[in-house]
Amino acid sequence: MLSIKNLHVSIEGKPILRGLNLEVKPGEIHAIMGPNGSGKSTLAHVLSGREGYQIDSGSAIYKNLNLLEMAPEIRAREGIFLAFQYPIEIPGVNNTSFLKKALNEIRKHRGEEELDAIDFLSLIKKQMKLVEMNEDLLRRPVNQGFSGGEKKRNEILQMAVLNPELAILDETDSGLDIDALRIVASGVNKLRTESNAYVVITHYQRLLDHIIPDFVHVLSKGQIIKSGTKELALELEERGYDWLLEKSESPS
Amino acid sequence: MTEVSTNFKDCIQDQIHSGDDTDFALSPELRSSSLAILNEGIFPTRKDEEWRYTPLKDILGRKFEFISNDKLNPDLLVEHKKVVPDAQHIVFINGEYSAEFSDDLTQQANAGLAIKLMTDLDPTDRQKAENIIQNSKLSDNSIFQHIALGLSQSGLFIDATNDTEIAKPLHLLFLSSTAGSTSFSNPVNIIHIGQNSSLKIVEQFVSAQDAQAVTIPADYIHLNKGSSLDFYKLGLESEGTDHISNTAVELSESAELNMHQYLLGSRLTRSNSEITFVEPGAQAKLCGIFLGNKSQHLDIRTYMDHAQPNCTSDQSFRGIMNDRSRGVFNGMVLVREHAQNTDAHQSNKNLLLSRDARIDTKPQLEIFADDVKCTHGATIGELDEDALFYLQSRGISKVDAALMLTHAFASEITQEIQIDSLREYVQHKIANRLRHIQTTNA
Ligand SMILES: Nc1ncnc2c1ncn2[C@@H]1O[C@H](COP(=O)(O)OP(=O)(O)OP(=O)(O)O)[C@@H](O)[C@H]1O
Ligand SMILES: [Mg+2]
Repeated sequence: MLSIKNLHVSIEGKPILRGLNLEVKPGEIHAIMGPNGSGKSTLAHVLSGREGYQIDSGSAIYKNLNLLEMAPEIRAREGIFLAFQYPIEIPGVNNTSFLKKALNEIRKHRGEEELDAIDFLSLIKKQMKLVEMNEDLLRRPVNQGFSGGEKKRNEILQMAVLNPELAILDETDSGLDIDALRIVASGVNKLRTESNAYVVITHYQRLLDHIIPDFVHVLSKGQIIKSGTKELALELEERGYDWLLEKSESPS
Repeated sequence: MTEVSTNFKDCIQDQIHSGDDTDFALSPELRSSSLAILNEGIFPTRKDEEWRYTPLKDILGRKFEFISNDKLNPDLLVEHKKVVPDAQHIVFINGEYSAEFSDDLTQQANAGLAIKLMTDLDPTDRQKAENIIQNSKLSDNSIFQHIALGLSQSGLFIDATNDTEIAKPLHLLFLSSTAGSTSFSNPVNIIHIGQNSSLKIVEQFVSAQDAQAVTIPADYIHLNKGSSLDFYKLGLESEGTDHISNTAVELSESAELNMHQYLLGSRLTRSNSEITFVEPGAQAKLCGIFLGNKSQHLDIRTYMDHAQPNCTSDQSFRGIMNDRSRGVFNGMVLVREHAQNTDAHQSNKNLLLSRDARIDTKPQLEIFADDVKCTHGATIGELDEDALFYLQSRGISKVDAALMLTHAFASEITQEIQIDSLREYVQHKIANRLRHIQTTNA
């Protein structure tokens, strides 16, 4: 589904991703862990098409499409979804009408009929239950004045409505209380199918108790320095990153 | 109007010498000082601080010439009236009152509201109306006010009695048509609201397509004790129009003004509003949107005179400038020495949608009292890149995302419009204008 090969990305001349490789197949859940500043969010942004990143070399092929050449909205319509580490507040844009517009753009792209207000409302009501979100938040401007946890739930609600094929969750667990964490995780588990995949960026093993990853990768200084199964996350929890970092310092 | 091609200054001179005293809206006594100023014929230049950002070259160079023999399509008026369907409609065409298209003035559509033609006032009404003008001294005493005062041959005296809530809005439609020559209109409207009464007025300036016009209206408004006015001004004239308006409002004790301006039209728009608190305890809320594209020039000036204590003013204006358009916001809040316990706020936020667009904003605060709460601020910015990306990352195209954000920026003002049909119309007009902006940019 997604194949990243030897990806080098820099910001204003400063290399951030330095030869990153990643293969994601349908139905898989990949966890990406790694120290602050190692390039996790950069990877998420590059995959979703944010401007300001210089692609120096390498490729990212998604469903046979050259991802890095596509406009962000086309990537979204092709099924990529990024749950932001820091969701943006958008004053004056109503949360519901925003999401309806987004869904209908995606449906149009897929050749499906647009949903009218009534059908959309019943869909959104159903998905709200999944994330146990307060209905008031639908009537408010997108994320404006939402608490940290409410913003994260709103991201997952959007994911549930837009039904992506490849979802990238960037620290969706940060800022969530323990109940919210469980709710978000069970939402993800319910949305999980054999044909969609998740890349879950997190600092905490805790989330991976609920969302069981097939693979765990450690990103450091713009490279994946270690990949393993869910046991790797437990080991990291116990030992931290130092033992890995030391190893990667030595020439490979 | 004659059909000879002539320029703006000649056009003024022609009008000084046309008509008898009885043809004019105001009495010879009141007109005389304006005529003196008109005879001097001095127009503001960019050396005048209040006109610094608004050059008059184009309007002064304008030719007044024959356009066409087209008849006005009455459907046009039917459409415009729908903007406020449940209203008393009064129509001016090329500056002249149109009995044909207006609701009958003699049949009082609203109990307690008398509406009379300025050219048709009895001495008592004339005294009452002209007193209001005489009491208003505009700080921008440029020649344009006098083009209306000295030369107007049309306009209304709108008089609301005491203790009455006037239910139906008054919808004043000023239409420039393509019939005949370049249209020149300078109506003077005088509005008097009796104690504890309330009134809603919508002034809508529109054009038949491609009309060439100069519109120089002036409104003088007096709110008596405890009265209130909701006043909406819509500037939607054609690209062939120059529009320079003055509005003076005086508020007596505990009176309340809500004034909205939506300026989307004309080649040049200059809208000057001056509010004076003549008694304590009154409040004024001013807000508006000015939205320019192509090479439109939109200039909003406000002058808030806190001459009395315990008054509140709140101003919020937003500019959206595209293409090569220019916007000017020039807002003065003056708090005089004995105006204690004044609460005055002013904000001007602007969005530049193109590199060639420009905005000059000049918020000013002069405070001579010591017990006051005043804030003011202005910002000029572009669309938020993070918000654009967020919307795009959900499948919304960049153009649509920009549209949504710009519309959101405007709707924080338009959502305050209290007449449902009008709010929808203004929002729709803004959306349309933005759609045009986006597609021409894409
Ligand atoms: N716009 C930018 N300009 C300059 N440097 C940037 C910019 N964005 C990111 N960086 C740098 O790129 C590096 C990687 O940042 P990134 O946000 O991808 O880290 P991260 O792994 O997500 O960290 P965290 O765990 O703290 O979220 C950091 O050193 C950061 O300072
Ligand atoms: Mg990050």
